[in-house]
Amino acid sequence: MNMGTKIKKILLEYLVLVFIVILVIVTAIAEPKFMTSANLNNILRQFGPLSFVALGMTFVIIGGYIDLSVVGIMSLVTVVTVSLIDVTGQVVALIAGIVMGAAMGLFNGLLLLAGGANTQAKALFITYGMSMLYGAAALIFTAGGTLHMSWLTTPQTVFAAIGSGNIGFISVSFVVFLVCLIVLHTFLSATHQGMAIRIAGGNKMAGELSGVPVNRSLVLIYMLSGLMAAIGAIVLFSRTTMANPAAGKGYELNAILAVVLGGTSLKGGYGNVLRTVLGVLLVTLMANCLDLLSVTTYYQTVFKGSILVMAIWLDNRNKQQGGE
Amino acid sequence: MKENEPDIILSIKDVYKSFPGVVALNNVSIEIGRGTVHGIVGENGAGKSTLMKILSGVYTKESGTIIFDEKKIKDITPIQSLHMGLSIIYQEFNLVNSMSVGENIFLGRFKEMDGMRGTHAKAGELLENISSSIDTKQMVSELSVSEKQMVEIAKALSFNSKLIIMDEPSSSLTADELKRLTQLIHQLKEKGISIIYISHKLDEIFDLCDVVTVMRDGNVIDTKPVCEITRSEMIQKMVGRSIENEYPERPHCVGETIMEVRSINTRKLHNISFELKKGEILGLVGLVGAGRTEIVRAIFGADKAKGHQVILNGEPIRIKKPADAKKAGIGLVPEDRKLQGLVLNFPVQTNIIMASLKKPTRFGFINKSAAKEIAKRQVDNLNIKTPSIATQVVSLSGGNQQKCIVGRWLEISPRILILDEPTRGIDVGAKYEIYLLMKKVVENGGSIIMISSELPEVLNMSNRVLTICDGRITGEFNPENTSAHEIMDKAIG
Repeated sequence: MNMGTKIKKILLEYLVLVFIVILVIVTAIAEPKFMTSANLNNILRQFGPLSFVALGMTFVIIGGYIDLSVVGIMSLVTVVTVSLIDVTGQVVALIAGIVMGAAMGLFNGLLLLAGGANTQAKALFITYGMSMLYGAAALIFTAGGTLHMSWLTTPQTVFAAIGSGNIGFISVSFVVFLVCLIVLHTFLSATHQGMAIRIAGGNKMAGELSGVPVNRSLVLIYMLSGLMAAIGAIVLFSRTTMANPAAGKGYELNAILAVVLGGTSLKGGYGNVLRTVLGVLLVTLMANCLDLLSVTTYYQTVFKGSILVMAIWLDNRNKQQGGE
Repeated sequence: MKENEPDIILSIKDVYKSFPGVVALNNVSIEIGRGTVHGIVGENGAGKSTLMKILSGVYTKESGTIIFDEKKIKDITPIQSLHMGLSIIYQEFNLVNSMSVGENIFLGRFKEMDGMRGTHAKAGELLENISSSIDTKQMVSELSVSEKQMVEIAKALSFNSKLIIMDEPSSSLTADELKRLTQLIHQLKEKGISIIYISHKLDEIFDLCDVVTVMRDGNVIDTKPVCEITRSEMIQKMVGRSIENEYPERPHCVGETIMEVRSINTRKLHNISFELKKGEILGLVGLVGAGRTEIVRAIFGADKAKGHQVILNGEPIRIKKPADAKKAGIGLVPEDRKLQGLVLNFPVQTNIIMASLKKPTRFGFINKSAAKEIAKRQVDNLNIKTPSIATQVVSLSGGNQQKCIVGRWLEISPRILILDEPTRGIDVGAKYEIYLLMKKVVENGGSIIMISSELPEVLNMSNRVLTICDGRITGEFNPENTSAHEIMDKAIG
């Protein structure tokens, strides 16, 4: 391998970093407001919910699948948790919300396993269907209305801390994120089960024939995705202090976009959660920069769509080079 | 002979085709007479399919000439060959399941048939001509295998085919259906249509064909009228390659029975029971599709089978999934290295430690240096040629890839190692190394079940051979005092 291809490979490998740098430089020059502490704070906050969902999604995608149900899970967790606060108290409600997310993910996983869904495409449709079900349950639960936390009688100190509290100069939700990141990164890169997930994503059949627990891995990745979606939902409503029954809308595509931009292959097997953090950063920065540059939502969507298609195209190309 | 010349419908002369590392057709010459049924026989890999694919335009030949119906054919596409009057009916049919019989026969030619009404009318006529009563409006998905075959034949006739090639046409027909096919072939022959009949089943060749060509390793060994050749001669020509020093000395370590398999029954397998001895290399011989792979997959828990018993060291064990088999000390090197064996874009290390992941694991965490050690040990052990254990396994040669999978299983010190086509597509040197590894396994008290389509390999390595035909065990042989010929005879059934 000569120097040129090596540099090209590294650039392709960390394309997302290149993008981030370009984006920051361009926006900072064009719009001085970008570098203000208020805006940076804003970015960090937007970074919050998506980063959790994307971490979970990373596992699903590395495992060779995809999860569109995070939308429904987030919505349902949001309305149920907020409603529970007055009934059970805030701590129990918090735990119940997280457990519920994991349980819905577990159910997805078992459903896929029972249905013999062995491809990403099948998982795409099944989780899409599940998302509709979970989302509909959320709408039915609140009769379509939004619950405001200010209506509640019980104190919400825990959620207030998650939503807007700080530890020193770092927000609580960012600390939670760092903890999740470290735990999940260690899990994926250093444990037996993490390796099993990667092998299952790389070649399910070979994994199974070598006695690697591929079925367990399948259920686990969906459970993790549900769990992380629930945490994302909690961080989201704690900040906005309202429970919208369509709270999760758009998070699935942003999460997939973040994972793929980070460089985790949609084909499964290859990638890690640290890369996803870069992906989330890019997605969030992009939205922020486009806002600042007063690009309208419609054009933002054009931009996002193009980036997603390009990222998948690059992913395919890389794979071909590695595979032949 | 001069006056016979116009009667040749297809003349293949010195056709040569190679794939990376293999000569698939080595200057093959065959002449097919007009209105004759010409059988082509040969072992798997003899070059029959390659030849058919060149005729139909799927592959292109590297040299040689093909003259069909007095026209030289060169660089044709499958559609062009159809329009010239050369049809091929493959084993897996070329039909659109979700369309009707009539639509399939005239696929893409509805306009020429004056719309759907004309299509169905003409299709009906064609089917009637071959005395078939299939309704042309029926969906192809609802047809039986034999009926689908009729539709394919009708389709071939709709192109006014002068030559129809049938690839293993009888493989899933019942006796009655075969009889009908036989009648039909005679009927076609009377109309002056030539048939190339490719089959493993020698009885059919004798029943049906006028002339037979025997192929082996990409060469035409002989072409003779069937009345001038005996069955045993034919088998002799099919298998008779010279065996030199390609194999190590056969190990003799056979001891007591270690595993007993009782009555495996699946859709494809019928009452499979056998035993395996300690230190034994047991060869399973049969044609592709005979059920060899299904037998080992059922034992290994890779395919669902019910009601069978596996008794290991005198104790019945239940294997529901491959992980159970692994726990019991059984390893499987699967048939398709790339699809079932390797995680291609993963490093050599991961591919080696896949089956023994628990070994370097403490409290759920993988100890990186212990994992590396395992990989290094097997790389050294098996002499795997790789730049490093971090290299992607896809970049290794076939032989070294295969050694990675073998090493993966040696790491768990298996009591029983199942090798399904262990030397497919790897070069002679690597083959020899695989044989030596097999020898080492049995010398250390392990047992091996080996499946191979290369008869000489099985015969030279095994202590005992079972022949499998149509999902049944049809014979048991000691390869040391049995001829290849006798064994092949049982495997062909």
